[in-house]
Amino acid sequence: MNAAAEPILRVQGLRKNYGGVPALQGVDLEVARGEVCGLIGPNGSGKSTLFDCCTGLQKSDGGRVVLKGTDITGWAMNRIAREGRLLRSFQKTVVFPTMDCEENLVLAGQMARFPGVASTFSIGRASRRRVAALRERARELIEVSGLSRVAHLPAGNLSGGQQKLLQFASMLMPEPEIVLLDEPLAGINPILIERVIQCIESANRQFGITFLIIEHNTDVLMNLSHRVIVLHQGQKLADDTPAAIVRNPQVVEAYLGG
Amino acid sequence: MSVTLDTPHAPPPRLPAVRWGTAALALAALALAPLFLGNYYLHALIIAMIFLLPAHGLNLILGYTGMLSLAQGVFFGLGAYTSALLAMHFGTPFVVNLFAAAAVAALIALPLGIPALRLRATSFVMCTLGFVVIAQTVAKNWTDLTRGDMGLSGLARPRIGDIVISQIPQYFYLILAVAVLAMLAFIALIRSPAGRCMVAIRDNETLAESLGIPTWTYKLVVFMLSAAFAGLGGSLYAHYETVVSPLVFQMYYSNTILIIVLGGGVGRVPGAIIGSFLFVAVTEALRITPELRLIIYGFVLLLLVFMFPQGLAPLVERGTEWLARLGRKA
Amino acid sequence: MGSFILEQIVNGVITGSMYALVAAGMTMIFGVLRAINFAHGEYYMLGTFGAWLVISKLDAPYAVSIVAGVAIAALIAALIGRLVMQRLVGAPFQAGVLATIGVSLILQNAVILAFGGGYKVFEGGWIEPVQIGSFGMAQQRIVLVVTALAVFAGLEWMVRKTRMGKAIRAVSQNIECCHVNGIDVESVVRRTFLLGTALAALSGVLTAPVNVSVYGGMGESITLKTFAVIVMGGMGNVRGTLIAGILLGVVEALVSGLIGLQYRDSVGFVALLLMLMFRPHGLFTQKARF
Repeated sequence: MNAAAEPILRVQGLRKNYGGVPALQGVDLEVARGEVCGLIGPNGSGKSTLFDCCTGLQKSDGGRVVLKGTDITGWAMNRIAREGRLLRSFQKTVVFPTMDCEENLVLAGQMARFPGVASTFSIGRASRRRVAALRERARELIEVSGLSRVAHLPAGNLSGGQQKLLQFASMLMPEPEIVLLDEPLAGINPILIERVIQCIESANRQFGITFLIIEHNTDVLMNLSHRVIVLHQGQKLADDTPAAIVRNPQVVEAYLGG
Repeated sequence: MSVTLDTPHAPPPRLPAVRWGTAALALAALALAPLFLGNYYLHALIIAMIFLLPAHGLNLILGYTGMLSLAQGVFFGLGAYTSALLAMHFGTPFVVNLFAAAAVAALIALPLGIPALRLRATSFVMCTLGFVVIAQTVAKNWTDLTRGDMGLSGLARPRIGDIVISQIPQYFYLILAVAVLAMLAFIALIRSPAGRCMVAIRDNETLAESLGIPTWTYKLVVFMLSAAFAGLGGSLYAHYETVVSPLVFQMYYSNTILIIVLGGGVGRVPGAIIGSFLFVAVTEALRITPELRLIIYGFVLLLLVFMFPQGLAPLVERGTEWLARLGRKA
Repeated sequence: MGSFILEQIVNGVITGSMYALVAAGMTMIFGVLRAINFAHGEYYMLGTFGAWLVISKLDAPYAVSIVAGVAIAALIAALIGRLVMQRLVGAPFQAGVLATIGVSLILQNAVILAFGGGYKVFEGGWIEPVQIGSFGMAQQRIVLVVTALAVFAGLEWMVRKTRMGKAIRAVSQNIECCHVNGIDVESVVRRTFLLGTALAALSGVLTAPVNVSVYGGMGESITLKTFAVIVMGGMGNVRGTLIAGILLGVVEALVSGLIGLQYRDSVGFVALLLMLMFRPHGLFTQKARF
C-alpha cells in the first residue's frame, strides 16, 4: 500500500442512528486508490449503513466522508455518483426491469458522458454519437459478461444470476474510480462466483478501479482483497492484510468463529 | 404505474418498419378524412386531436416518470385563458398565442412543481387536485382578468397568412398539423437520452439516483414539459371554441385526459393516440351525454385497474408484431 | 363584536364536528387499505339523497329518513366494498386512486341521470331554535354536536374493547402479520369500509336540514375538505380528525364571518395545500409515515 498517496476514500468518526438504535458509532477508515478492500463483520455491525452514508442514500448523524480529498458529507446521491465517480451496488440486486440489457447499460453510462441535464434532451448529432459510443461499450460488456443470449430481453425477465451480472456490468459503464459492492456473491452459483471474481480482478488491474466489498463469503474475500477491514457493533475492530485478519484473535472471536 | 412484462421473446426485427408504416397509413387516412366525413364527425376528430396534447403530457409524467398527476386540466385551462387573453387584448397572431400558452403553462408549473414533487405519491395526487380547485377559484373570482363565470368570448378566428380559419375542415387541417408536430416532439423526447432517464426513474428511482441521475431535476422538467403540452392543447381549444370560461377547469377534462392515457396504454408512444380516438372521438360522435360519458369512464377505470392495467396498447402492439412476423413466414 | 365572534366559533365547532365525522370514516379506510377513498364524498351525498327521497316521495318523518338515508348508502357501500374495495388489499396505491375515482364518477353521474342535475330542497329536520344563553340555535345543530361526540366516543370504545376494533388496529399496522395470524383481512376491510361510509352518510343526513340544497355533485367539495382534515389530523389517526375537523370548521366560520362568505370553501383547499407543502404528516405527528 502506498502510504504517501492520499486515500481515495476516507471516513472520519462516522455516526448514524436509526431512531435510537446506533448503527455506526464513530467509524474511521481509509481506502487506498487502486486497492481491493474487503469489509466484513457480523450482521448488524453497520456495513450496509456505512455504504448508505458514504453514497448519500442516508444522511449521517456525525462525522465526515472525504472522497478524493473533497468532503462529500451531505452530498446528494446522484452528485456523489456523477461528480465523485463513486458507485455502489445493492444487496438485493436491482436492475431496470422494463429496459433490456443494452438499454440498462447505456443508461448506466449516460450521466458520465453527457455534460448536463439539458444536453440529454437533445437528439442532435453530438448526442447520437455519444449514445452510439455508449451502445458499443455496452455490447462489449454484454459479450464479456456472457449475457449475449438474453441481451434483448427486458431485464426483469432475467434470472437472478443474470441480473447480478448485469448489475455488475452497470457499475463499470460510467468508468468509475471507486465501486462499493454490497454482497456481490450472495445467492449465485459457484460458476458465476468465479466469473464475478474474475470481473472484479480484471476491472481492478486493467482500469485501476478501487473496490470496497462487503461479503460474507470470507474465503473468497480473503483471496481477493489486498486489505480487510472488520466492523463490529458500529465501530472498526481491525484493519489489516487478510492473512493477519484471519489470525487476529478479536476478529476470530467476534466473527470468524473461534 | 407498474408495467408488467409481456414479451418473453425478442421483438421481430421488422417491427419499426411496420410501426412507422401503420402510422403513415393512419396519417394518410386522417389527411383524407375531410373528403369523406361530414362536419359532425370531423368535429369529433378535432376534439380528439385537441385532447391528444394534454394526454401526451400526462403520458410523459405518468408513463415515463411514474407520477400520477390530476392537474393536467389546470394547464390545459391556463393555456386556453392565456391564448384568449392575448388574442383579445393584443390581437396577437395564432402562432404567438400557441407558444405563449405553452410557455405560460410551463412557467406556472415551475413554482407549483417545486414543492409538490417533494411529496410522496399519495400526497402528490391530492396536491394536484388542490391545484385544480385553486384554478377554478381564481378563474371564477379574478373577474378583472377572466370576467369570472361569464368567461371570455368572441375570440378572433386564427389567421394563417391570408387565410382565416373558420370552417371545420380548415380547423381540421390546422389542428392536425399541430397535433402531428406535437407527436413528433413527444417521440423525440422519448427517444432522447433524457427519455431513457425518465423510464429509469419510473422503473426504480433510487437505482437511477445511484447511477448519477438527478431525479428531482428530471421530474421537475418533465412536470413543466407536460404542462406545456397541456397548454398547447388548451390554446387550440380556445381558438376552436372561441369561448373560454371557468368550466374549462372542471374535473371532467382532467378525468377525460386520464382515461385517454390509461385506456390507450400508459408509457407507450401510441397509447395516447389510441385512447384519444377511442374515448373521445367515439363518445363525441355518438353524442353520448356528458353524464353517461362519465359513467362509462368510471367503469373503464375500474376495468383498467382490475383487468387491463396496460390499457389497449398491448393489443395493438401484438397486432403490429403479428404483422411484422407475417412477412417472415411467407 | 365579541359575541359575534363567539357565535362564529360555536357555528364553526358544529360544522367542524360534522367534517370530523366524515373524515373519521375516510381516515379509518385509509388505515386499513392505505388507499385514499376519492369517492368518500359520494356516500355523504347518497345518504342525503336517500333521506330526501324518503321524505319527498314517501312523506316520511325526518327521524325515519335518517335511518333510511344511512341504510341506502350502506347498501350501496356494501356492494362496492365487496366488488371494488376489498380487491384493493395489497394493490399499488395508484390502483386505489383510480378505482375510487371511477366509483365516484359512476355514483355521482348515476344519481344525476336518475334524478336530474338540478338542486333539490331538503324539507325535513329539527330546525326550531332552542335558547342557549343569549342566542338561539336550531335544535338540529345540537343534535349534530351530540351525535359527533357520541360517535367518536363509540369509536374509541370499539377500537379498544371489541374484537373488530383490535382487528382493525392489527390490519392498520401490519397486513402480512394478519394473514399469518388468521385474521380475515378482506372482511376487516369490508366492515371498516362500511363503517366509514356510514359515518359519511350519517353526516350528510344530519347536515341536510342546515344546508337545505341537495344535488348530485355535492360530494365533490366534501371529499376535498375531508382530504384537508385527514392530512391535518394525520392520515390514519382518528382522534386527530376530531380536532382537525373542528379546527377547520372554526377557521371557516371565522373567515366567512370576518372576511366574506364567498371565501368559506377556499379555506379547506388552502389548508390542504399548506399542509401538504409544509407538514404533510399532519399537525400532531412528527415523522411522515405515508
